[in-house]
Amino acid sequence: MTHLPYILAAYGLAGALALYLSIGAALRLRRDRARLATLEAARGRQPVDGQTETGRAGVSA
Amino acid sequence: MKRKTRRLWLVIACVAGLGAAAGLTLSAFSSNIVFFMTPSQVAAKVPPADRTIRLGGMVVAGSVHRERHGETPVNSFEVTDGQAAVTVQFEGILPDLFREGQSVVAVGSMTPGGGFAASEVLAKHDETYMPKEVAEELQKSGKWDPKFGPPPNAASWNAMTAKDAKTSSRGS
Amino acid sequence: MNASPTFMDRAGALFHRYANPGRFLKLGAALQPWLTWPAIVLTLCGLGWGLFFSPADWQQGDSVRIMYVHVPCAWLASSGYAALAVCAVLSLVWRHPLADLAAVEIGPVGACVTATCLATGSLWGKPMWGTWWVWDARLTSVLVLFFLYLGHIALIRAFDDPQRGYRAAAILALAGAVDLPIIKFSVQWWNTLHQPDSITLTGAPTMSHAMLWPLLVSTLGFTLGFAAIVVARLRAGVMEHRIRSLLTSPRRGTSVNATLAESGAQELAV
Repeated sequence: MTHLPYILAAYGLAGALALYLSIGAALRLRRDRARLATLEAARGRQPVDGQTETGRAGVSA
Repeated sequence: MKRKTRRLWLVIACVAGLGAAAGLTLSAFSSNIVFFMTPSQVAAKVPPADRTIRLGGMVVAGSVHRERHGETPVNSFEVTDGQAAVTVQFEGILPDLFREGQSVVAVGSMTPGGGFAASEVLAKHDETYMPKEVAEELQKSGKWDPKFGPPPNAASWNAMTAKDAKTSSRGS
Repeated sequence: MNASPTFMDRAGALFHRYANPGRFLKLGAALQPWLTWPAIVLTLCGLGWGLFFSPADWQQGDSVRIMYVHVPCAWLASSGYAALAVCAVLSLVWRHPLADLAAVEIGPVGACVTATCLATGSLWGKPMWGTWWVWDARLTSVLVLFFLYLGHIALIRAFDDPQRGYRAAAILALAGAVDLPIIKFSVQWWNTLHQPDSITLTGAPTMSHAMLWPLLVSTLGFTLGFAAIVVARLRAGVMEHRIRSLLTSPRRGTSVNATLAESGAQELAV
């Protein structure tokens, strides 16, 4: 292949970016889900401003 | 009028105003935004020799002379936009894509004799992408010579695959 | 002005029905696998196809393979900003809370994609044009888009009162949308070093079908990937919003104050 270093650099860059963004998003989602679950459990599962239903949906997802 | 409706019209009015302002600004500065001058623009109004300009156009077939002065390659070629042509002198290595019929942009200034001394030559590739086999087949069948201009209408070849090109060249 | 209010009412009701933050958590969780997995499969197929099976270009040789990452990034850079502008309208006109949260999440992803577009373009330009960068209209207008993204990211987080940040960033997003047609038409309005578009709405693509298909597959894959990442981040953003409001809401009587809530947050964060 001609100009292989340039091609590999471009693909490597795109791959690194995709991994960085997707792993970052997945970790953040997992952490927030756990925090929200802990918090709602601490509140004794009382309806919080009518939001508990949707909150649980997020937790169970 | 309700508040939301008023806000919507306000947003539309602001965007329209801003768009018009941007459009007017861009059209006013249009000549400064162009990346290069064409040979006919240069011929119509020769820029002073001390000003660096960018000259863009197609390399005229048969006009390329490559020499070597010791280590440095010295190149000379003509650039045209179909109406006028300017001879460009360039010392250095030409880009890989440089060939006759290719569009190039030369950075440099005019010389007193009406020529152009380039300090840098950039190759401008066009928006056509085709496999090597298809290009060879088009050239073999006489439909296109890259030295003399852009390829034929894309509809005539863009469904052609490398395999088609091979079989049709075998048949012909 | 008789028809407008009913249209506005209906449009507003529609947004609130289908896009309030609570409902979005359900919708997003259901949507996520349908975005994530096709995105991974299509991106890998498109890039593998482009890298190993598509033909080399007759004059660019193998360097043309950079196109299969550069073009999807360029498309997403503009589309991401268009999405920000849509969020801005929803935010300014309908004061839609989800649009604000979405704008917060789209900004950084769009900026990353734009940076990749510029970098891969540079990596393509050096071997083909003979230069890493030129100040032509296309390249410059995309660089401006990158700075608009950076400005949006900074502005939306700049205020202690998030509402003010949302408002300011929405105005920037709308004003910056003027750059989008400039990017699109720069290669037609002015002569540039960058070549004109190969794929247009009006004419046949000036590209061999053997290159067009892998390009379309990888573009679709990248687009779904962008959507998947934004949806995941937005779900997280909605949850964080909910966590904040749970921690700061004085539900257990007036004695629970911000300090207690904050210590709770620290416990959870550890």
